[in-house]
Amino acid sequence: MAAGETQTGQKPCADDGQTISLTKVSKTFPGPNGDRLEVLKDIDLAVKDHSIVGLLGASGAGKSTLLNIIAGIIKPDRGRVCICGAPSDELTDWCVASYMFQDDRLLPWRTALHNVEFALEAGSTPKAERVRRAGEVIRLVGLDTFEDAFPYQLSGGMRSRVALARSLVTEPKILLMDEPFSRLDAQTRAHLHSELLRIHGIMGMTVVFVTHDVEEAVLLADEVAVMSPRPGTIREIVPIAPPRPRDPVEPDVAAYIRRLRALI
Amino acid sequence: MAEMIEQRALAVPARRSIRFGIFFERLLLVAALGAVWWVLSLSTPPYVLPGPGRVWTALRVIAAHGDLWANLGITFWRVALGFVFATIVGLPFGIVLGANRRIGEFFEPVLPVLNTVSSAIWAIFAIIWFGISNATTIFVVFMTAMPLIITNVWQGTRAVNADFIELARVLRMPDWKIMAKIYLPTILPYFFSGARLAFGFGWRVSLVAETIGSSSGVGYRLRQAADLVRTDQVFAWTLTLVFLMAALEMGVLSPLERHLFRWKKEAEA
Repeated sequence: MAAGETQTGQKPCADDGQTISLTKVSKTFPGPNGDRLEVLKDIDLAVKDHSIVGLLGASGAGKSTLLNIIAGIIKPDRGRVCICGAPSDELTDWCVASYMFQDDRLLPWRTALHNVEFALEAGSTPKAERVRRAGEVIRLVGLDTFEDAFPYQLSGGMRSRVALARSLVTEPKILLMDEPFSRLDAQTRAHLHSELLRIHGIMGMTVVFVTHDVEEAVLLADEVAVMSPRPGTIREIVPIAPPRPRDPVEPDVAAYIRRLRALI
Repeated sequence: MAEMIEQRALAVPARRSIRFGIFFERLLLVAALGAVWWVLSLSTPPYVLPGPGRVWTALRVIAAHGDLWANLGITFWRVALGFVFATIVGLPFGIVLGANRRIGEFFEPVLPVLNTVSSAIWAIFAIIWFGISNATTIFVVFMTAMPLIITNVWQGTRAVNADFIELARVLRMPDWKIMAKIYLPTILPYFFSGARLAFGFGWRVSLVAETIGSSSGVGYRLRQAADLVRTDQVFAWTLTLVFLMAALEMGVLSPLERHLFRWKKEAEA
């Protein structure tokens, strides 16, 4: 039985302008005392094509589990997951999802360029083509002069750029990010935020990111899904109206930040 | 861009001149040792301590007959063969031991046992089993080098970062590519240091094996020279060996290691 057609009365996946659509998704994990821990309960979420959605919540709210379900790393117990209008377990070539980890995970024995190239090495892309595309994305993230540097020679911000380039080189339709910039200092993080928005303007991929930082969620997202723990549910989906780029000191942006702080 | 400015220094200046200075100091040390040797040899009979001049003459005589290169060649050939066998067995075995916990735990006590058996004992066994032949020396080198390579590769396999494996899996990389692109590069530095150790041990041990179980090679010639009380030839053979090993270490292995592992931080490399 495919994950897309589990419950009776549920409509099959359809191409409806939504890159990601979750219906009544639930997941339990075995708890410490042999009981079942309800990590996600009846999650409904729709992510429109080309939009940016933030999953915001305290730790333990199931944000990362939800992201992993979207990525297909974890299977839900119940519910329907549609990616690009198809059940999530049906692999599609034209709807590539990329996953960016919390840490940069650069292979220390590879240069920046070859770390980016790594993402293309799972398939059968020829070497020359891989290097050409890796070089293009390295330039896109502004690291062209550092493509031959090894990870230990790069600063934290530059390493994050390489990781970002690695997740973009496959030209993904969907970019999934698990607190990707949380380990950077505030200034570098702000810089990478504007870089991400600039690249989103060029490539137009759908972005879903996990964060516990209210300000980050408000600055980046079209919609913020506020999650609450035990059991993990979406408490409210808040559309962020002001146009990007947003400044946290502007009154309307600050109002959103205050409102979301009160929600989590 | 602020983060661009705080980039780590990509080049290390002034390193070349420091290396050059050290090279000169080392040359001085060699000259000083040579001088001490020469002074000591003046007051000792040549069969106890032959002077540099005598040893040089002996070396030229050995080299002139083609004896020098023939015996060096055959010793090197035996060491290389034993080393290659040790790698062929040790590398996959080390990976299996590291990758499978149950097998690893089962075989864990075997390695210290293998490592404690003296090479002289392997040499005696080798003579019993193989007699006076090439196989004797090759076997002793193999038995000495193999546990060293296994131990190091095993350690390397345990150092593989699970996060990198997860990254590769998320990219839907097949298992054999994960082996080639994550496991092998992680193991390589460990294998290299093990192989270097094993090769060095192999050389030394091969001489022991050749003195008792061979009718050719540097070890055999060394014992022959000693039996004939040709101390100048013993010195000539020894110096040639030391020189060759140092050249191999400094001219090939060290630069190769620096190149292969240039991705490591200076402090680690």
